[in-house]
Amino acid sequence: MIKLKTENLTKSFLGLVAVNKISFSMEEGEILGIIGPNGAGKTTFINLISGIIMPTEGLIEYKGMDITYIPAHERARRGIARTYQLIHPLENLTLIENVMVGSIFAKGHSLKEARNKAEALCHELGLTGLDRDTSRLTILEVKKMEIARALANEPEVLFLDEVMAGLNADEMKDLIAIVQRVALERHLAVGVIEHVMGVIRELTHRVIVLEAGELIAEGKYEEVSNNPRVIEAYLGRGGV
Amino acid sequence: MNRNASRILAALFGVLAVTLPFFAGDYPLQVARNIMMYMALAITWDMLLRSGQISFGIAGLFGIGAYSAILSVIRAGMPAWFSILFAAIFSGVVAFVIGFLILRLRAMYFSIVTLALGEIFRIIIHNLHDFTGGPEGVVIQKGVIFGGNANSLYWLVLAGLAVALAASFWFEKSKIHFALTAIRNNEISAQSSGIDIFRWLLLAFVVTSAIQGLLGGIFVQSYGFATPDAVFSADFTLLPLAMALLGGVYSTTGPIFGAILLGLASEWLKLKIPYGHLVVYGIIIVIVILFMPQGLRQLVRRTSHSADGRSA
Repeated sequence: MIKLKTENLTKSFLGLVAVNKISFSMEEGEILGIIGPNGAGKTTFINLISGIIMPTEGLIEYKGMDITYIPAHERARRGIARTYQLIHPLENLTLIENVMVGSIFAKGHSLKEARNKAEALCHELGLTGLDRDTSRLTILEVKKMEIARALANEPEVLFLDEVMAGLNADEMKDLIAIVQRVALERHLAVGVIEHVMGVIRELTHRVIVLEAGELIAEGKYEEVSNNPRVIEAYLGRGGV
Repeated sequence: MNRNASRILAALFGVLAVTLPFFAGDYPLQVARNIMMYMALAITWDMLLRSGQISFGIAGLFGIGAYSAILSVIRAGMPAWFSILFAAIFSGVVAFVIGFLILRLRAMYFSIVTLALGEIFRIIIHNLHDFTGGPEGVVIQKGVIFGGNANSLYWLVLAGLAVALAASFWFEKSKIHFALTAIRNNEISAQSSGIDIFRWLLLAFVVTSAIQGLLGGIFVQSYGFATPDAVFSADFTLLPLAMALLGGVYSTTGPIFGAILLGLASEWLKLKIPYGHLVVYGIIIVIVILFMPQGLRQLVRRTSHSADGRSA
């Protein structure tokens, strides 16, 4: 079943077209890789879908409903969650309180209920020491907390924006397994922006490739990684 | 000083505040009233600050409250006690309306506009001569509330402080705490957690403004007169701000201790160097911002941490 789709989604900033007529869709239970060179428009694309910025043209449909221009917090409530490339833990709040926020506002749970749900979620992701200040977390814990915060919204569609950046190989393995498990158990549609190709190969069922704001290729990782257009986008003309 | 110690200290101040009228004379009561008034304003300023919005509009909403209270008594014959409630409601409604315009602004733009609003209110009241009495102000002919009884006036201000304290605890213990903290940290990720930023900012702005208006009403009823220069005085913005900064922001206890320290210090300085005490205030603000941006709370925490053998 299609959870999310866009049609001709376009965003231009004062004439600079950052996202150009992208049409795509995501199925329930699918993990989709979103790759492309720096500046290709991957994060802008996710910003459009999560409502952080509004499109210049085009259509976004979530579970058959037009959500193109509804505000970001409303999309979060309906079930679209995401993490951020630059993570900002909420200072003055503990680890568990950070995770409670989505539960309180996206789902409208009481503080007590939100705490119970956040505890279960942290437990599921292997987070301990829940009353710690966020400044005392390791980088892996911060990444897990960021995923837990997004999952606290109880989403149906989840976007992970470079969630593996800064992790070592073992930590990546750990996190890949977690993402696969939560996606499977919750029947999530997951969109993953990632620069580490090993992660894309391991984690995703399908990949879309963006370059200069346009969708230039789509398919399984093996197909896409052999596509001459994609190789050119990454390495330039005359590349190896 | 750990949490328990600061609780005990707070309880001591609470007992002192409630028993003061039974043994203190008129002068200490007057000083205590002043401190409690500024303390309440400092708490309301901090409550909005918890969302990251720095308001310089305290004096503006305080003044609106003061004038709506005194004019409702003089022009509409409202009972004095009811005019204080009316002041809160009126300031809240004003904040609700202007909130739609100014809560889209952020950082220094928000601050400057709140500063300008206070000035606009003052100028309007200055010039509506027939209705507001103009620059000379207005006097309540039948006199001060409670016939000017010092004890009763003290209880009235204490009640105003209690309202501010209750609201502040409500902000700390409820969903509002999570909403404002998330907004202060990062508005974009707050939205992604389902937080309707404008709605929570409007709530915080209206509640704090209504309390500032209430305090303006209490102030004007306990002196029996109002002039634009007296009730829109920059003191009502700057002193609470300095108190909250000194004590430590984002909490209820910070403004309380800041108000007691600065309140007592300024009373003493007034006697030693009349007018010069404001210079000392300015110096304190500069020192606090430079060396302990989170106020005395941070300093106290740091020392107690190192005393425990942990690093700060």
